[in-house]
Parts: sequence; structure tokens; C-alpha cells
Amino acid sequence: MAAATEEHPGSTGFVPRAAEEVEEVHEANEEERLGRDDDGDEILRFMDSVDGHLLLMDSLSPALRRGWIDLAGARHWIGTSRVSSTLFDHKEQSAATKVQVVDSADLQSSEPNPHFVLSKWHLQEKSNSNDAVSAQDNTKPKLRFRGSTTFPEDGSHEADVAPAESWTGVDTRSHVQRARSKALSVFGALVSPKLRTSQISFETALELIVELANSRSNMLASFFQIKDG
Amino acid sequence: MAGRPSIPTINSALIAIIADEDTVTGFLLAGVGNVDLRKKTNYLIIDNKTTVKQIEDAFKEFTTREDIAIVLISQYVANMIRFLVDSYNRPVPAILEIPSKDHPYDPAHDSVLSRVKYLFSAESVASDRR
Repeated sequence: MAAATEEHPGSTGFVPRAAEEVEEVHEANEEERLGRDDDGDEILRFMDSVDGHLLLMDSLSPALRRGWIDLAGARHWIGTSRVSSTLFDHKEQSAATKVQVVDSADLQSSEPNPHFVLSKWHLQEKSNSNDAVSAQDNTKPKLRFRGSTTFPEDGSHEADVAPAESWTGVDTRSHVQRARSKALSVFGALVSPKLRTSQISFETALELIVELANSRSNMLASFFQIKDG
Repeated sequence: MAGRPSIPTINSALIAIIADEDTVTGFLLAGVGNVDLRKKTNYLIIDNKTTVKQIEDAFKEFTTREDIAIVLISQYVANMIRFLVDSYNRPVPAILEIPSKDHPYDPAHDSVLSRVKYLFSAESVASDRR
């Protein structure tokens, strides 16, 4: 009994160390599992962004094709010399359609991740100054769900037009019409309707291009995250 | 995250274009054309007289200008200066290769996709396993 009592303090000192080691191993396993979960999320985000990029590119081709066909139609009606790059005015002029660049809110990425916002026909300059903040809030890449209406097969983007319509009034619509007419005036006072439809097609293509720029940015950010991780 | 380089916010940046006449004309109709005080434009029209040197110079100029956020380049033009496009690795301006009338888009040649595709290759999986 005395021997067992004398041994007991020694064995009591040994047991907590074993428990600590078991706890450390358990914590290490938990961290490894969480790390694998993070890697899995990042890989999913990367594959989603690649898929989105390819889908966007598939939508861009028809939009550009419609624009080219309408341009060719305009040339056919009013003559090749009336629709030519030689008519472009080389006087100083500022672009009416520009892009805003903000840093993405995705702080998990160790690589810079810019987010692009299209501003058509000076419209962004006329809207609230909170747009940069709201753009930054929307920059964290979200997983898409296939079968959503984000990328309609015909390449049209009513979804992009609707939000613009909700915050543009009659004044802004007339401003856009004036800006479009000014861009068309390079080709004369009376322009073919084909030129107008070509203009709309290329505007649609521009919206897709800005989405492509964002998907490219997300894709590269996820890629570097996986590569470095 | 500490040490993560940040992108300065640019409120109004341009879209530059290096493409054939029809593509440039179309995007100019959409309002992206810009001519500054020195008569420098944000686009280059490629025709059969355009040299590779001119394309290289335009690409270098557009990718170093601070007022340009996106550079659109027809993929067949990008193929002429592929080494330059593939060696570009800055986040802004973003380089986007687009199809042209006579040359459809080929994802195999896209510089960004070819850079990331190695993640899908058997060699990368095998090296990770080792």
C-alpha cells in the first residue's frame, strides 16, 4: 500500500503530460482539418471563377458578332466611306464611357484583387458618391449557381439594364440618348438604324468585358491563393 | 492581411483597345474613345500595314499609362506579341483577349487561362502528391 502510495505521485505527474500531448495532437488535427476546408473553399472559388470566365467569353462572342454584322449592314446601306475610321475626330475629347477601379474587399487574398465598375455615358459621375463604397462592398467573390439568369444564352443583358433603369429618371435617359447621338454624329447627321443597333451591341459587349475583367481578377486571386497555400 | 499590396482607387479610367477597324469602331460608338491634349488616343487600329513593333509599342504604352484600367486586345493580335502579353502580370490594367471577326476566341491561347490551367494538369497533381 505504502509502495503504491509512493508510486502514485510519480504516476500522477506522468498522466497530465500524456493528456497535454493528446490535446496538442487533437488541436493540430483540428487545425489541419480547418486548413483543408479553407483550401477546399478556395479551390471551389477558383473553379467557379474559371467556369464563369469561360461562360462570359461565350456570351461576348455573340454580342460582338451582332455588332460587326450591324456595322457591315450600315456600310452596305450608306457606303463604306461613310462608316470608316478615317472619320474619327482627332480633336481632344474625353471618353464618355469609363471604368472605376476599386480594391476588392477580399482580404483573405494575399494578391491584389481589383474590382472594375463600368460607367457608361458619364452616368457614374452623375450618380451618388457612395457608389465606390457600395462597389467595394460587392467585390467579395460569391459562388454562382448554374442555371441562374445571370448569363442568358442570347447574350442580352436585361438584368444589367434593369438596375440602371431603376435609378435613372427621364433626365438620365435623355442624357444617355444625347450621348449616344453625339457618338453617332461622327458618321453624319442622319445615321443608319444599323449603326444604332451596332452601338447597343457594343455597349452590351462592354458590360460583359467589365464582368470578364472582374472574373479574371478573382480567378488570378484564387489561383495565387491556392498556389501559395 | 499584412503585406498585401493594395490597389489605389481610380474613379474614372479608360478602356484601351488594340484591334481591327470594325472592333475599334464599334467600341468607339459605345463611347470609349479618348484623345488627350497631345493627340494621343487610347486605341490602335490594326490593319495589314501595322507592324509588330507598332503593336508592341502600343501595348507597352497602354499597360504603363495610369489612366487605363482595361486593355482589350484581339487574340490574333495578342498572338503576334505573345511573349509580351504572357510576361505581363500586373493586376491593373487588366489585359483581356477578345475574339475578332475572322479569328474566334481560343481559350488555349489565352494568357491568363494558360497560366492557371496547370492546376488542372496531371503533372501538378502528381507533384503535389510527391
